[in-house]
Amino acid sequence: MARVVVDVMPKPEILDPQGKAVTGALARLGFAGMSVRQGKRFELEFDGEVTEERLAEVRRAAETLLANTVIETFDVRVEPTPESAGAVDEAQNSQAGNNQAENNKAENNKAENNKADGSEAQSAEEAELAARAG
Amino acid sequence: MSPKIGVVTFPGSLDDQDALRAIRKCGGEPVSLWHGDDNVDGVDAVILPGGFSYGDYLRCGAISRFAPVMAEVIKAAEAGMPVLGICNGFQILCEAQLLPGALIRNDVRVFVCKDQDLQVESVDTTWTSEFTVGQTITLVLKNGEGGYVADEDTLQRLEDEGRVVFRYLNGNPNGSFHDIAGICNERGNVLGLMPHPEHNIDPLTGPTQDGRAFFSSVFNFLAAKV
Repeated sequence: MARVVVDVMPKPEILDPQGKAVTGALARLGFAGMSVRQGKRFELEFDGEVTEERLAEVRRAAETLLANTVIETFDVRVEPTPESAGAVDEAQNSQAGNNQAENNKAENNKAENNKADGSEAQSAEEAELAARAG
Repeated sequence: MSPKIGVVTFPGSLDDQDALRAIRKCGGEPVSLWHGDDNVDGVDAVILPGGFSYGDYLRCGAISRFAPVMAEVIKAAEAGMPVLGICNGFQILCEAQLLPGALIRNDVRVFVCKDQDLQVESVDTTWTSEFTVGQTITLVLKNGEGGYVADEDTLQRLEDEGRVVFRYLNGNPNGSFHDIAGICNERGNVLGLMPHPEHNIDPLTGPTQDGRAFFSSVFNFLAAKV
């Protein structure tokens, strides 16, 4: 089994209201200084090898349906699957370890910032409610 | 003989019945078309109605654009048949590249539902000939993804060629570039707009009857053609 991943992102010049909403929510939770843009990830699975022809076909599929190239860009890549190599597993494990450390750090930041930003979070939420009512 | 106007029902269309009713009330013969049909034989014009076809999965209109009936609608539109896309129908026309640009989520990040003032910018289309340029009309606007976007060159071309047909008045409700509420193709037979003319044809249910002129415009065009 082979897997090809297609990542689709809104073009930089296109407003990303979903990303903006997530950015705002993260800030309210204390994850400061992050600017988020939200895209989509598609996983395409095939039997057998990923050939050049297969990749060309995926690119055509991405251009035809998965992405709207008026407003989005896409990126096609082959992703190793669990059965493809032991080396990959090891790499993923160490990655997971790093992630754990990152998570702990984030948790700490979050706890600290929550105290400081409590009032600000409140007012941002109120602003959003007011906008809805309007 | 009254003109036959087809309305396509996709899975998730909401305003197909209102569009059919509006055609009947304005003096046309409504014809129900199904997304799985492989022809639009016998109709003189087609309306792609509002709603949430295919649940807005992937992108609004992205999956409907490949429905079997759309191959025929695209062929007919390219041959000059009047096609009107309302709201989700506008999104489908953009995905099908019958109209340039795309519609993205409202910049205000909420679903907008209101009576919207519009300025008529072009009467050189099969759907707007009964209006006058500069006329102010009010139509129902209700969408979550109505922000019209296109690159600078496309916007310039639309402006230069007089293909911006409606502009939002008294405030831009969704962040559309150039306050664009509706555009047409080069030939003027394909029109897409976010507001809903089919909801504004009856004093009982709408604040205005400004939607009626869309139908009388296309009826006149079709009558003149025969």
